[in-house]
Amino acid sequence: MTNLLEVRNLSKQFKSSGGPFRKPRAMYAVNDVSFDLPKGRVIGVVGESGCGKSTLARLILRLIEPSTGSLRFDGDDLRAKSPAAMRRLRADMQMVFQDPYSAIDPRYTITRALIEPFVVQGRYTNGTADQEVSELLTMVGLSPGLASSFPHQISGGQKQRVGIARALALRPRLLVLDEPTASLDVSVQAQIISLLEKLHDDLGLTYLFISHDLSLVRYFCDEILVMYLGRVVEALPETDATVRHPYTATLMDSTFAPDPRQRRIIAPLEGEVPSPFDQPPGCAFADRCPRATAICRSETPVLSTAFGHAVACHNPL
Amino acid sequence: MTRITDTIARALSGFRSTPMSRAFGSWLGKIAGGFLALLVLTAIFAPWITPFDYAAQDLTNGNAPPGWPHLLGTDQFGRDVLSRVIYGARTSLSVSATAIAISITVGMTLGAAAGYFGGFFERAVMTVVDLTWSFPDILIALIFVAIIGPGLTSTTFAIAIAYLAQFTRLTRAQIVRLKQETFIEVTINLGAKPYHILLKHLLPNAIAPVIVVGMLAIGDGIVLEATLGFFGLGAQPPTPSWGAMMSSGTAKLFLSPWVIIFPGVVVAVTVIAVNLFGDELIRALDIRDRIRDS
Repeated sequence: MTNLLEVRNLSKQFKSSGGPFRKPRAMYAVNDVSFDLPKGRVIGVVGESGCGKSTLARLILRLIEPSTGSLRFDGDDLRAKSPAAMRRLRADMQMVFQDPYSAIDPRYTITRALIEPFVVQGRYTNGTADQEVSELLTMVGLSPGLASSFPHQISGGQKQRVGIARALALRPRLLVLDEPTASLDVSVQAQIISLLEKLHDDLGLTYLFISHDLSLVRYFCDEILVMYLGRVVEALPETDATVRHPYTATLMDSTFAPDPRQRRIIAPLEGEVPSPFDQPPGCAFADRCPRATAICRSETPVLSTAFGHAVACHNPL
Repeated sequence: MTRITDTIARALSGFRSTPMSRAFGSWLGKIAGGFLALLVLTAIFAPWITPFDYAAQDLTNGNAPPGWPHLLGTDQFGRDVLSRVIYGARTSLSVSATAIAISITVGMTLGAAAGYFGGFFERAVMTVVDLTWSFPDILIALIFVAIIGPGLTSTTFAIAIAYLAQFTRLTRAQIVRLKQETFIEVTINLGAKPYHILLKHLLPNAIAPVIVVGMLAIGDGIVLEATLGFFGLGAQPPTPSWGAMMSSGTAKLFLSPWVIIFPGVVVAVTVIAVNLFGDELIRALDIRDRIRDS
C-alpha cells in the first residue's frame, strides 16, 4: 500500500514578540510529528483542545507554514512547491472545517459557494454548472432545491453537508476533517458521520480525521494518533490495540458508555494542561500522570516501538 | 412551474426588504429620506425649477424682503435668493458627494490593502493616513488654496482628504475582522489567488458600513463646504453656494436677515436629514457595532 501522505518531524513554533517589559516567548504548537497516511486509510487524531491537532491539519495543507519538517503528498515534496503549483495542488487535498456556521460566505448562495471551487481552479464551464451543483447536493444527501438558498436560511447540519460537498467538488484524494461534527447536534452528528463513511467507500477517499471525541474516532478510523501538548504520545495501529500510554488510558476511561448497566466510576484527570510556553524538561503529562516517576520530570520520552506500537512513555502500561 | 413562482416570490420578498426600503420604514426615515430625495431632484432640475436666473442682478431691487415675485427676497445685488438657494444645492451636494466618493475610493483601497497585507505596509499606510487626520480641515483647505487657488476643486480635495482617514480605518478594521472568518480559510484552501479573496469575499462583506458612513460624511462634507465657502475659499462668485451666500449676507445681517437665514436653514435641515436617514440605514442594516470598531 503506497502512502498518500508522509509527514516527517513536522514542527510549528509560534513566537510572541517581546516588548520593553516582556521577553519574547516561544511555544511549539506541533512538535516533531511523524506519520504515514496510506491511500484509502482513515487516520484519527485525538487530543484535548489546545493540543495542536487543528494546527497539525493546517500545517499539512500548508495553510500555516511549518517551522521544520517535511511533507510528502503522493511522493511530491509539498514544502518545495511554488505558490502557483501549491494553489493547483490544493484541488487534491481538501478540508472540512469545524464551524459550518462561518464556513460559507453569508453573501453567497449555495450554488455560488459550490461553483467557487471550479471558478478558483479555472475549471468553470457555464453550461454544466447547474448540473454539477445538483449532483454535488445529491451526493451529500441534500435536495437540489436548496441551491438558491443563502447560508442563513439552512440548518447547521445542512451547512456542514454543503461544506463537505464543496470540499469534494474538485474530486480531492485527501480529505482533512477538522472536528466536522463538533458544533452539531448529536443526531445530526450521526448523519454526517454515516455520510462521510459512505463517501469514503464510494469515492475511495483518504481521510485525516481530527476530533476530541475518542469513542467517535475509535468507531470511525483505522488508526489513531493521540496528541498531548503538540506531541504524538501514542500511535494505535488498530482501534482495539492495547493502550500503553497513561494519557490514552485516561481518555478511554472518560468516555461514557451509553448502557446504564455499564455505569462505572470514572477517574477524571487532575490538574490542568501545562502552559505550552517555557516547558520544563521531561514528559509534559508528568504532573497529571498517576504513574509518573523521577525520570518523567527530567527526560522527555520519545516514541518507541519497544512495546508493540509507538508510545512515548517511560512507564507504559 | 413552481420554480418560476418560487423565483418570483423570492424576488418580490427580496425587493420588499432591501435595507434601503427598511430605512424608509419608520416615519423618521420617511421624512428624512423624502426630504433628501426632494433636494437631490431639485438640484438636478434646478434650471427648470428656479423662477429667476441665479446670476441676474437687479440693483434697483436690492435687499427686497420675501414676497412676490421674489419668494425668499433678494440679496444686495437684487439676485433672487430662492433661485440661488436652489442652485446652491447643486454646488453643495455635488462638491460634497464628489469629495466623499474620492475619499471612499482611495480610503477603501488603502484600508483593504493595509488590512489584507498587514505588516510594515499596513503600519506605513496607517501612519500617513492618521497624519492627515491630525491636521485641521481648514488648514488642509488652505494648503490646497495655496497650491491651486480658491475654488470648488480645492474644496473638493480638502473635503476628500479630511475624511480619508475615517474610511481607511473603517475598511481596514472590517478586513482584519473578516480575515479571521472560516470562509476565507476555505477559499484559500480551494487555491484562490489573493485578488479573488479580496474582491469576491472581503470587500463585498466590508462595503455596507463604509457606504453608510459615507452617507453620513456627505452631511459633514456639506457643512465643511459651507464653511470654506463662507471664508471665500470655495465657490467663487457668481457661482452660488450656501456658505458663500451666508458670508455675503453678514454685511447686512440686521437690514436683510433673509439673505443669511434661508441658506443657513437649508444647510441645517439637510445635515439633520442626512444624519437621521443615515441612522435609519445603520439600524436597517444592523451594523452599529461594526461601525464602532474602527
